[in-house]
Amino acid sequence: MANHALAAVESALRDRKLDRTLTTALAPLERMDPSALVPMDVAALDACLRGGLPRGQLSELAGPRSSGRMTLLLRMMAAATARGEIVALMDTLDRLDVASAAAAGVDLSRLLWIRGQDSAPADRALDRALKALNLVLQAGGFGVVALDLADVPLAAIRQIPFNTWMRVQRVIEGSDTACVLITSEPLARSAGGLTVTLAGRPTWTGTSDRGRRLSGVDLRARVVSPRKRIDGEVAIGALTVDVTDRDAPIARQR
Amino acid sequence: MFGAIYGADGSSLEALLAVAQEFSPRVESVGDSRAFDSAQAREFVLDLSGLTRLFGDARSIAEELRRTAADRGLQIRVAIAGTRTAARLMVRHRAGISIIEPGSEADALASLPLALLGELANSQLPTPNSQPLPTSDSQLGVVLKRWGLRTLGDLAALPADDLAARLGQDGVRWQRLARGEDAAPLVPAVPEERFEQSLDLEWPIEELEPLAFVLGRLLEPLEAHLERRGRGAAVLHVRLFLVKTSGGAREVHDRSLQLPTPIRDARTLRTLALLDLESHPPAGPIDRVVVAVDPTPGRIVQFSLMTRPLPSPEQLSTLMARLQALMGETRCGSPALVDSWKAGAFEMTPFAPVDANVLHSHDTLNDRRVSAPPPFDSRSGRPELSRGARFVTVKNVAVALRRFRHPVPARVHVADGKPARVTIDRRGMDGGGISVCAGPWRTSGDWWKDGWDRDEWDVTLGGGATYRLFRARDTEQWFVDGVLD
Repeated sequence: MANHALAAVESALRDRKLDRTLTTALAPLERMDPSALVPMDVAALDACLRGGLPRGQLSELAGPRSSGRMTLLLRMMAAATARGEIVALMDTLDRLDVASAAAAGVDLSRLLWIRGQDSAPADRALDRALKALNLVLQAGGFGVVALDLADVPLAAIRQIPFNTWMRVQRVIEGSDTACVLITSEPLARSAGGLTVTLAGRPTWTGTSDRGRRLSGVDLRARVVSPRKRIDGEVAIGALTVDVTDRDAPIARQR
Repeated sequence: MFGAIYGADGSSLEALLAVAQEFSPRVESVGDSRAFDSAQAREFVLDLSGLTRLFGDARSIAEELRRTAADRGLQIRVAIAGTRTAARLMVRHRAGISIIEPGSEADALASLPLALLGELANSQLPTPNSQPLPTSDSQLGVVLKRWGLRTLGDLAALPADDLAARLGQDGVRWQRLARGEDAAPLVPAVPEERFEQSLDLEWPIEELEPLAFVLGRLLEPLEAHLERRGRGAAVLHVRLFLVKTSGGAREVHDRSLQLPTPIRDARTLRTLALLDLESHPPAGPIDRVVVAVDPTPGRIVQFSLMTRPLPSPEQLSTLMARLQALMGETRCGSPALVDSWKAGAFEMTPFAPVDANVLHSHDTLNDRRVSAPPPFDSRSGRPELSRGARFVTVKNVAVALRRFRHPVPARVHVADGKPARVTIDRRGMDGGGISVCAGPWRTSGDWWKDGWDRDEWDVTLGGGATYRLFRARDTEQWFVDGVLD
């Protein structure tokens, strides 16, 4: 009886084209097309995300400093460029280290890097980055488009009108682009997007100061998804990013 | 029916071409265009099809040609035949007017000396990949002479199979020429086309918005013209004539845009021109607008079913122009590593991604680098791990550095020769006690100019943030170089 009533309500909503508000109108996860997802290229995380971040949605990687946000983003971009896609990074405060991107495997010729200015006032740099994001998303054709807000003061971020993110979502809806925000705290996920909250702890090898080296970062990721479609309250457990090749990642001559 | 005209020594090439074009729109300039001074350059072949209805028979056409040339002070030879090759061979051999009836080319050419084929050698190549024909003194010319062949008729009379067996396909080609047969159709010389549109304005305009409408009106017919000719624009020229000031000279505001790929879309060209004019505005009101393009062969695009298509060059050009107008010309593009030991060294290159089809062949879909996710437990929402496993290890991950383009000054308390506490005055950046540190690593370079000489440390603060610090050895000052993230 209850099922009949639910079906009747859903049918009525569908007739009035209001079915987008229905939880069940979202595509079943088991039937999610792999091509509609952008893998993070971290197997455990991809398994938890059921394949990766959804295309056509606004997702976010949130966490404090040294929590591995940039590492994960560059890994995702490296995988995307290896598939032949092009990616874009709106670098609000010009923080990208090109050697790190190259060491992560990003094909630099397929990366559109839009550099903000560290010396500009944060609100102006943020305004320009949002305009640049809008231009890139409207142009289309990018597999991953990231907006780096990690070091932007929260006071400036909170001044962004909330409908900005709705507009961003409207632009990418139905496209093949996965838009990703890099933030220090969850900010503006779209209804179909995912929030990956990260916590990191550096790992070191060696005991003496001179023999000690930074070997990696232990990451813990917690996924927040719309209406718990991906068991949003469950942390995926500990994810260790282990750097075995000590010289290559940081690419320094010592 | 084809005619060949051959100017005497000292004939003007332009005058000869003008005479030819007066009779037929299909005129082929014979010979290498770089060799205008040579004899070959004074020869033109005309397609005379249909002219009999205007002038009468072939002889009348030839006489009319000579009369027209004589009126302009030119003395020319004229030969008319059913094929271009026969007309060309005859016009080189005989002065005055020569007429060969269609179908009797081989007979008419039979008495001509074999050396004429040599003169035709490099001026007519039947196919793009074929070798130059032999001149009379070339090795193959010597072979023919040794065989006792003296005339074109001798060569034409040889059995084609035997000739091919001894001289290969080249021998067959020479024989066809000796018989007066054409190996390729006539390629008429196309006069240089100008892709230009202009508009005189009734009232001067000062703003860019009304100029956008003017540019759109000029570029749309230009787009149609380019499309008809299968061309695209390589360079877009916008010339704005400014209103003449009292007593002053008339100024012209010239802008030229190099386009990354051939583009003919009017809207894209208009947007690019407007974005350029926004950053380089004219100094006064405009009363005449001229738009021209340098044409280049159009783009041919083959899409693939196997890979995601890249944005079109029109979209990318527009995007990059808009981004450069917004962020600055040097702040958008693709990064590239440079050959330097300096930390953070890079250069910006234009963003011009190559289609994945060019990069990879069939392995694009089977990506080598993306590892398949492990099995997923639908009930727990976690990856299926082996019993007791708490950690999933991903190897060979590069820990990224977020680099401060301008290093942030810091105050560092050093104890026992290593950093113990860091204080950063910049708002939003945490300082505090250092729980773990590693270093120092000394780097230096570029001593002959503004170089660097510093000791680097990786430090983890009590709060968990991991910084890369360095101490400038000349000033003893500490800086934060970046955050490992």
